[in-house]
Amino acid sequence: MDLNARARTLLTKLVSLVWTWRHLIISILSLAAFIEIWALYSAWLRGDSPFEFRHWVQTAEYFPYPWTVFHAFIDSFTVPDPFSGLYMTDHIYASLKRISIAFFLSFVTAVPLGLLLGRSKTAESISNPLVELFRPIPPLAWVPIFLVIFRFFWGPILIVFLGIFFPLLLNVRLGARSVDPMLVDASRTLGASRIQIFEKVIFPYSVPYMMTGIKVGLGIGWMCIVAAEMLGAVGGGVGRYIFATNGVMRYDLMYAGMVTIGLLSVLTTGVAGLIERRVYKWMGME
Amino acid sequence: MEKKILITLVVTAVVILAAVAAAILLMGGKESAVYYLTVPPKDMKASLSTGAIDAYIAWEPYVSDSVVGGVGDVIMWSGDIMPNHPCCVVAVSNDFLASANGPELTERFIRAHMDATTWMNEALADHNSANYTLLVNMAVQFTQRDAAVVEAAFEHIIYRYDMGSEFRSALEQFTDMYMNTSMTTSQKLTDRGYSSTTDFINKYVDGSYLAAAASVAPSATILNPSSPIRLGYLLGDLHQMAQVVAQNKTLLGTGKSMFETYGLLITDATGAPFGVGGDVMNGFAAGAVDIGYLGAPPALLNHLNAGVSTKIISQVNSEGSGIVVKDGLGITDLSGLLHKTVATPGESSIQFLLLKIALQREGLALKIKT
Repeated sequence: MDLNARARTLLTKLVSLVWTWRHLIISILSLAAFIEIWALYSAWLRGDSPFEFRHWVQTAEYFPYPWTVFHAFIDSFTVPDPFSGLYMTDHIYASLKRISIAFFLSFVTAVPLGLLLGRSKTAESISNPLVELFRPIPPLAWVPIFLVIFRFFWGPILIVFLGIFFPLLLNVRLGARSVDPMLVDASRTLGASRIQIFEKVIFPYSVPYMMTGIKVGLGIGWMCIVAAEMLGAVGGGVGRYIFATNGVMRYDLMYAGMVTIGLLSVLTTGVAGLIERRVYKWMGME
Repeated sequence: MEKKILITLVVTAVVILAAVAAAILLMGGKESAVYYLTVPPKDMKASLSTGAIDAYIAWEPYVSDSVVGGVGDVIMWSGDIMPNHPCCVVAVSNDFLASANGPELTERFIRAHMDATTWMNEALADHNSANYTLLVNMAVQFTQRDAAVVEAAFEHIIYRYDMGSEFRSALEQFTDMYMNTSMTTSQKLTDRGYSSTTDFINKYVDGSYLAAAASVAPSATILNPSSPIRLGYLLGDLHQMAQVVAQNKTLLGTGKSMFETYGLLITDATGAPFGVGGDVMNGFAAGAVDIGYLGAPPALLNHLNAGVSTKIISQVNSEGSGIVVKDGLGITDLSGLLHKTVATPGESSIQFLLLKIALQREGLALKIKT
């Protein structure tokens, strides 16, 4: 094989490799571009290279360099935080505990209720005004009330619960409502009982909607964690960490907390995605 | 399949149990500590009455609110922990000082602040005077608390504007405590151009406007008719009554407020009244606040940590905070707080520092509730 042929083979293999991993490569490039733009913006605010012609402006303090945040992120696992003396692992444990309990509560209430609302006009008429009234209220608005009524353990958990509950409820309701009436009629014609129709048709049909609700709900649950842990959070929490470091303008630490929440959200949504695939496989939906 | 699920469940349960057991072993027995939580002062009374907390430390009127309401008792006033400790201050933006007439407007502002403080102290000295009733009414309106609560609260606040060595030394002590707990760092101190904590306080606390204000005379005309001073202050904070008094047009009998008497037009800054001092500092950073009333800690910390270009130019009050315990718990002193849950307004507040200092003297640590 001559040199040109070898080069062509190598190039083909390389192109093939890039093509195979193109989505991962695009994702990495997208992340790298984001970090680069962030770094350039920080440099722009500071008048650092390549923007030496500019002067430092106050906003610079609100946008530390990405590597400053990276160091703060690493340090947060090895150095106790300045306000409570806890490590980031303690905060992660506290937040994960809240999200887990809130998710469990949301799941056991929203799924049956969503199925009921999707299949019963009477149940929907009763609950619809309440759902529509309470759904748009931001969880932040409930913080002081929940804190006093449900105290410091359940108060923050129930704030997160609100964030997960409504997306899950609405998705399950949509799933139960979207069941093809032909399928229900056919099952009934074949002699299926109400329980069998529910078990074999309605519930399986709602599962993909439920899984979407879980993923959306978990994302919103993490969005609520700062509000939930803003006050009275027993044992800290990543939201508490962000709130406290913001209060004293330690923005390097605050961004480190934000990155942690982002990573935790990716992790929990990823686990939900894995479970979703297992469930689909188990149900023969793949 | 069922066997696999069963094994997974058993393994998970064993791991969780082992983790819990390890955590209990690692935590060991109970230490000599008091546990704290962060609760907004306005919710402390309710939390105390429901038993969610055993005690709290806050500023007035949130201390007297519980005492007058029969919910709690004060076991220690902040003045007993650190006599004459600083609390709220007046800060000014360096950009405002650099603007046209900035220094003169600032001196006039401080003069009105001094007059308002003197007026309040005279009113508070005579509970039967008409001015005392006026002051109480203004405070009731500003704080949205009952007259009885406000009157009780006034007993424990020292309104003042001086910035003597005791004030500076206390701010130095607070800054050192923040450095020890890494709320700020020596690197930040260097970044802002200070060689030490003493150097920082000497430069950041600027007494020149207070000194010059003493000779400021009233002005028949308004000096800043087209660009009013944008004032930042906290919502319903009884410590900051001086700015309420200085803005009142009925007190002098001339139809002018104290600020107007010295030729100043004042307006609320965008976002005012602010919820916490950190927000006032954000207002300074955003260029929305010219002069602000806020607690000393955010003025110190946020200048060091985020380089917010400000100066402290006057004191507003000293003391005026207290430790309240729930009625019926039988706690009469600090040692009774052992293993109890105390609410604080936040780790960067003066109240948190004072509680920490008081407990340290008793050999008790202050730890976050877990």
